[in-house]
Amino acid sequence: MTDSAVAVLGVTKVFPVPWQRRCVTAVRDLNLRVSPGQIYGLLGPNGSGKSTTLKIILGLVSPTRGKTEIFGRDSIEVASRESVGFLPESPYFYKYLSGAETLRFYGKLCGLRGARLRSRVDELLDLVGLTSARDRRLGGYSKGMLQRIGLAQALVQEPKLVVLDEPTAGVDPAGAREIRDLILELKRRGITVLLSSHLLEQVQEICDRVGILANGVLVREGALDDLLGIENQTDLLLENASPELVKEIEALAQTSGARVIARGRPRTSLERLFLEATESKDEATDE
Amino acid sequence: MNSSGHRAFSPGRIAAITANTLTELTRLKVFYVLLFFALLLIGSSIFMARLTFQQEFQVLKDIALGAMSIFTSLLAVLATARLIPQDREDRTIYTILAKPVPRSEYLLGKLLGVILLLALSVTIMGAVFLVVLNLREHAVLNETASQMSGAPPAQIAEALAAIRASAFNVNLLSGIAIIFVKACLLASLTLFVSTFATTTIFTTIVMVCVYFIGHLQGIAREYWLQNNSAGWLTKTFLGLVTLLFPDLQLFNLTDDIVVGTAIPSALFAKTVTLGFFYSGFYLLLSWAVFYRKEL
Repeated sequence: MTDSAVAVLGVTKVFPVPWQRRCVTAVRDLNLRVSPGQIYGLLGPNGSGKSTTLKIILGLVSPTRGKTEIFGRDSIEVASRESVGFLPESPYFYKYLSGAETLRFYGKLCGLRGARLRSRVDELLDLVGLTSARDRRLGGYSKGMLQRIGLAQALVQEPKLVVLDEPTAGVDPAGAREIRDLILELKRRGITVLLSSHLLEQVQEICDRVGILANGVLVREGALDDLLGIENQTDLLLENASPELVKEIEALAQTSGARVIARGRPRTSLERLFLEATESKDEATDE
Repeated sequence: MNSSGHRAFSPGRIAAITANTLTELTRLKVFYVLLFFALLLIGSSIFMARLTFQQEFQVLKDIALGAMSIFTSLLAVLATARLIPQDREDRTIYTILAKPVPRSEYLLGKLLGVILLLALSVTIMGAVFLVVLNLREHAVLNETASQMSGAPPAQIAEALAAIRASAFNVNLLSGIAIIFVKACLLASLTLFVSTFATTTIFTTIVMVCVYFIGHLQGIAREYWLQNNSAGWLTKTFLGLVTLLFPDLQLFNLTDDIVVGTAIPSALFAKTVTLGFFYSGFYLLLSWAVFYRKEL
């Protein structure tokens, strides 16, 4: 089948332990498919096999059994990487290069040259909000800026698929939100995103579909709405409702055989509270 | 180009990796430290004891070519040993190989970056050496001319010609070229070791051992094989050593150059060809190990 952006077909990866006779199975008989245009989240605790799976998909590690395909092409073929961009977990890049030089380097690796390369670099720096820091060396970049330039290098050849390994690891909430917004922007542009993370809230906010790995085995997989929705329950969120109206609704529910399970005021998230507080402080400082 | 437009071999990709590797290496402090000490040694040879002008020029060439050989070899090993482990530690190797870049191009680009650095170093060291030699040659010529001011012109001309012949000769350039070829071979061998080593220090230690074995194996082989009692075990062992380690003594032509012995062009061509053959051979071995390496 070639209609999947990514197809993992019966993949098992066994690593031999050096100087010992035993082996470690990082991934066991894994099957999954990512459809074009989706944001797919690969979840799991540390050591569950997420990064190994991504590396197998990218052809950086060979599977012991099974195979992986990118848009129908075997991952082992170098040409399959024409349509993939990759951001590894906590990358450092070359500190002596500026943001623009870094993108030029990766662009040349993808065969871009001349005016096309220059315009692509400008476009990407603008996309990730680093135009003002384009000539600054990466040694002086913050963690969030490094992640954003990493995302830009992953996009340099306009790939149809972007693979992100823990894209918000070690980034502060504001930086994490910027990365999240960028991922949603990629989806809007029709780019398929496969990401691994153990930050469940962020995955829940942006992913269409998730797979949960535990000890190298895919234990749950499906569309987020299907996995998280409780079939026989309904949320009803009211604004400016008087106590009388709430009582009436509850009485109506009882008469129709339904049961009110919970009632209360929704709370803002800690992330939103943090961002509002820090953004208002930034604005005050700017003034 | 295949159906997807991907080029199986791209000089442009290799050039990008080469240029980046050269930039990376020229930012290393160790490069400047090694270059500084090499130039210091070459420059200080001007102050060596002067007995006769022949001895003076011999000492100057001996020190300068020796310094160039040692420091270039050291630079080849230290610069190459860190390339792959550093890229793995910084995870930049993943971002490069996740692009449509074949592993062979990655290795070739890295090696060419080191070779450019070595060419740069040898050019700087060689230029300083030739300037120093030229300065001493002129000083000795002036000194001799003033000492022999009363002598017949033919005698003066003969003395000055002897000085010129003792100073610069074209064999010096051949010697410098062979130092460069030997450094390229060491860089290629270091790249091979670093494809299966896990740390820079391991690669460096292995290469120091290889360097000594490479220089001593020729002498040991000659000694053992001249001895008729050498059994099949000794011969097999020596054959294995010869196969695995390059005979670096073959690249040591400086002794002949220093005393003014002309290097036959056939010997020069053979040594250069051997050096590039070994470099290519170790690059192929590096690719064989790195091709399916788990990153």
